[in-house]
Order: sequence, then C-alpha cells, then structure tokens
Amino acid sequence: MNTCKIVVADSDSKNREIIGGFLKKKGYLVHTAADNGSALRVSRSIMPHLVIMDVNLAGGNAFKTARIIEDDKISSVIFITNKLDNFFYDRLKSMNIYAYAAKPINLEQLFQTVEFSINNVNKMNELKNKIEQLETSLKNRKKLDRAKGIIINMLNVSEDEAYGYLRKKSMDMCIPIDVVAEKIIKKYG
Amino acid sequence: MNYQRDKEELLRKVEELDMEFIHLQFTDIVGIMKDVTITVEQLEKALDNKIMFDGSSIDGFVRIEESDMYLIPDISTFTVFPWTNFHKEARLICDVYNVDGTPFEGCPRNTLKKMLKEVEYMGYKLMVGPECEFFLFNTDEKGNPSLETHDDAGYFDLAPIDLGGDARNQMIVALKEMGFKIEASHHEGAPGQHEIDFEYDDALKTADNIMTFKMVVRIIAQRNGLHATFMPKPKIGVNGSGMHLNLSLSDLQDNNVFNSEVDELKLSDTAYYFLGGLMKHARAFTALTNPTVNSYKRLVPGYEAPVLIAWSASNRSPLVRIPAERGAATRIELRSPDPSANPYLALTATLKAGLDGIENKLQPPEQVTSNIYEMGADEIEERGIDRLPINLYQALQELSKDEAIKSSLGEHVYSRVVTAAQYEWKEYSKYVSQWELDRYLRKY
Repeated sequence: MNTCKIVVADSDSKNREIIGGFLKKKGYLVHTAADNGSALRVSRSIMPHLVIMDVNLAGGNAFKTARIIEDDKISSVIFITNKLDNFFYDRLKSMNIYAYAAKPINLEQLFQTVEFSINNVNKMNELKNKIEQLETSLKNRKKLDRAKGIIINMLNVSEDEAYGYLRKKSMDMCIPIDVVAEKIIKKYG
Repeated sequence: MNYQRDKEELLRKVEELDMEFIHLQFTDIVGIMKDVTITVEQLEKALDNKIMFDGSSIDGFVRIEESDMYLIPDISTFTVFPWTNFHKEARLICDVYNVDGTPFEGCPRNTLKKMLKEVEYMGYKLMVGPECEFFLFNTDEKGNPSLETHDDAGYFDLAPIDLGGDARNQMIVALKEMGFKIEASHHEGAPGQHEIDFEYDDALKTADNIMTFKMVVRIIAQRNGLHATFMPKPKIGVNGSGMHLNLSLSDLQDNNVFNSEVDELKLSDTAYYFLGGLMKHARAFTALTNPTVNSYKRLVPGYEAPVLIAWSASNRSPLVRIPAERGAATRIELRSPDPSANPYLALTATLKAGLDGIENKLQPPEQVTSNIYEMGADEIEERGIDRLPINLYQALQELSKDEAIKSSLGEHVYSRVVTAAQYEWKEYSKYVSQWELDRYLRKY
C-alpha cells in the first residue's frame, strides 16, 4: 500500500474541489476540511502523510493549527498563500519543510511540491528514527558500563562475569538488560 | 530563609528548562481563571512580589479608585505546560494582595485559605477528591462551539475509535506530566460526555487542581478541533455535568476522623455531625456550588442529579452518598455541585456547613434506603424531606438567610457573588426563550 493520504484544508469549496480532484487523479487518497477545527479533527483521525493548508483557513489561525499538527507529530504542513510577505516567510522557517504553493495555483507545480515534500518528510523521519535508535542504544551502553563497573567493584569479578551476571538477572526477571542496569545504578550507584 | 531558597531554586529551574513565558494565574469571584503573562526575565520581579495589575477591570474585584493590586505567586504551584514545545511556558498560581501588603478579601483563594485556618484551629484538615464531568463538542466552520458530538457511546462503553476518547487520553497524559495522579477516566452517560477523576488532596491543592484541570481540558480539546464545556446542562434530554465532591476530614496527623469501628455504618460521630451540617445548610450553599442559571436545569429529576436533601449509604439518588470504602478512604460524597462553581468558594461554603454541624453536634436526618426518584410526593412530604432550591433566585434567597455560610465568605465576597448572580437572574428573566415561543405563540 503506497497510497499516500493528503488532507486539503481550504475554506473555499471550489479550491477544495480543484486541488482535491487533481490530487485524487494523481493517485493520492484525499480528505478535505473547510475550517481549522475540522482540519485538526480529520488529520488526527486519518494521520495523513501531508496536509495542504490555506493560510486564510476559516475558524481560527492556520499557522497555529499547523504548529499543533507538526508539534504533535500528526503530519507535515505545506501552506497555500496569496501573500508572500516577511511574516509568511518567518512562519515558514519554523515548519518541517520549507515549501509552499502561491496563488494562483499551478497544479503541476503543486504536484511537484507535494511529491517533493512527502519524499523529504519520509527521508527526514527515517533519519530521525535512526538517530533516536542510536541515542537510546548509546544511553543503554553507558548504563550497562556503569552497572558493570558497580558489579566489578562490589563482587570483585571480571568484566565478562559482571556482564554474565547482568544477563542472567535480566533473563530471570524477564526484563530488558538496560532496565536491570538502571535498577543496579539506582540502588548501588 | 526558606522562601529565598525556594525562589533561587525556581529561578535556576526555569533557566535550565529554557522557559520563555510564565503565566501568573488567579481566579475571579465567578470562578474564571485570569492570567497575567510575563516573560521569564520578569520572573524575579514577580517572585519579589512586585507585579501589579489593575483590579478594577476584573469581575467582582474592586472599584476604580482602589484598583492597584499585587500578585503574590505561590512557588509550590509552579507547573510546566507540557503541550508547549516551541516556546516553553509554565504557570504560577497567585494570591491577590492589597497595596498595603494585606491579603485582598475579594480573592477567592484567600477566602478558602482563611476558612482552612479555622479548620486547622479546630484540629482538622479537609481532604477533597473531585469527579469532574464535561462535554466535548465539535467546532463549526467559524471556530465556534456547536452542540454536535463525535460519538454515540454510552456510560463505560468502549467507544469506537473516536476523537473524544483520543483527546481524553491526551488530557490524561498532559495532566500526569503536570503532577496529577489520575484515578479513573471514562465516557459518561451522555454522547460526548466525559469524566476524569484525580486523586484527593487537601482542599487548597484540590481547588487549585480543579482550576488547572479545566484549563488543561479546554486547551487539549482545542488542539483536537473540539470544544470542551463545563456548562452544567448544555443539552436538553441528556444528563448534565456534575462535579461530585468527596469530602473527608483528617486530624493533623493525617488520620481520617470520619472512620469508626463501633458504629453500624462504621462512621464516627464527627462524620454524622459533618453530614448533619451539610444537610442543614444545603439550601444555602447551593448558590455557591451551583452558581449559574443553567445549574438548576441539571438539578431536576430523571438525570442522575440530586433534587432532594437526603443521604444514603448505598443509593445514588440523594444529595449525599456515603461510598462503601472505609478506613482512610471513608468519605462523604456531595453530589450536587457542578463544574461551573468557583471551587474555592464552593469548598469554603461546604466546609463551613460541615464545621457548623460539628460545632453544634447536629444529627443528620435518618438515611433513605429506597430509590428517592421513585418516591411519591406524599411520601417525601411525610418523611419531611426538603428539596434543593429550584432556581438561582431561590438559592440566593436561601443564602441570604444563612448567617453561618455568609460569614464564611466575608462581606466583600458575599456582596459581589450576590450582585453578579442577581444580574444573571435579571438578564435571564427578561429573555424570551424558544420554549415559550413554541408553547404560547399559537396557543394565545
């Protein structure tokens, strides 16, 4: 299943129809929203790959809504705007992807921006996940080393024996070895 | 100096956490949270009690000629807002003081603190556990709340994946991060209605917690494209939202004094007297536990809300229920309050009622064991069971007759509460509702 889900949030029903219809033809699964509240509700229930949002979306502040969508890791947002001023560029800097569509909309260009954004976000997320994994394994490694040090000192054993002790405890208690290490550090460290 | 140490510790913490904004919060007389936002650079000034504001622009505060007030932050209430990560924000709950350095008597938090001192003097501490209900509605295309809900689940139903449930879970995560201990959370009786219960604590902490809770629920709902309301009865034909208060007294060594091994119901004399006090003053404190015109649309028969002033150890229909748990969990559950109440004033008034019972050794009436909703009018009259006020106007009249409850509020708070409520009642009385049009337009 490679079908990407997109939310088109625009208060103008004609725009929703044109943009939504076009993206559907390009093979995306499109959901629409006509105001800020429903943009949040739809996005939270379908967890789309991308949200395309008009900056003048009714019923609230589109920039705030976009902030919530990205802060809560629901999706990434690209804006549609009719006003390319400093204020807009400033807001853009804090978003996941520095990409937007200016009015009047050129549909082919929009398609490129959407493809570009979804691919970049996927790559970014992959990298983020990798970094997170590395960070946790590094943290666990440090914990293990400290716990081993404590065991070596307390029981006067070799490093291998200390590791064996930790592994046995982890297996006996059915908990991950880094949790055992953490408990030892907490109690004796 | 302890305060000095706490202050330095807080300043260090704020720097470590890279905070940007601090919200100084206090509550006005009608129970609305007010917020003065300062940047982190001004925090030291705030902690030195130098932040002033204009009290004349706040409901129920002061006249224009005495408008300067100080905000005195309570350092123990420092809490980081977990949903802010772009600009980090935190809050401090404050007491309001006069320019001459005395506590301002129109600040509800000061009113409760004064009452709690009185209890402490008698050798007790009030512990309170609230059960707060609320509705989640969708917003419309203009961002305004509607009456449309996102689910049709009933009480305790494992709802289909619905936005309301998701939002409730996010609320719980946020509240936990803010130090709340959540006891239970579930879908309530009506569509879109939810309840989150948090652990009991001493009265002041609980009142602060209720205010914080309402704020968190509203903000998280908004982040979900929903509107949370604590209005007591937003929809005709379904249950309203209550805020049951589980009340217990402990001595200064934290032993529950409502518990007793000798009594049939395992309740102490103190518990019975407290209960007697609640029964006696119920008609008067209702103006504070149910302070809006809309509150009285909830207190009608048929929707699990109490109507009659009675108590029971088992039945859930009367005003007071004694939950089955004993020992440290022995408590009295007052079922009439609703979440539109100002928690500081509602607790002040109910506590005063209970204490009056203890001081004057008031015995409660006999308990009712049958379902009170099914009792006929004759039986109710025969047993001498009184009912709660039927509207805000009657509640205010009852309050005006009760010197004990009035004195617990102090002259200032009492007169402001009454003025504000009378204004509400007057406006409401003038209004011609759809119900009247449907009923009378053709008929007459």
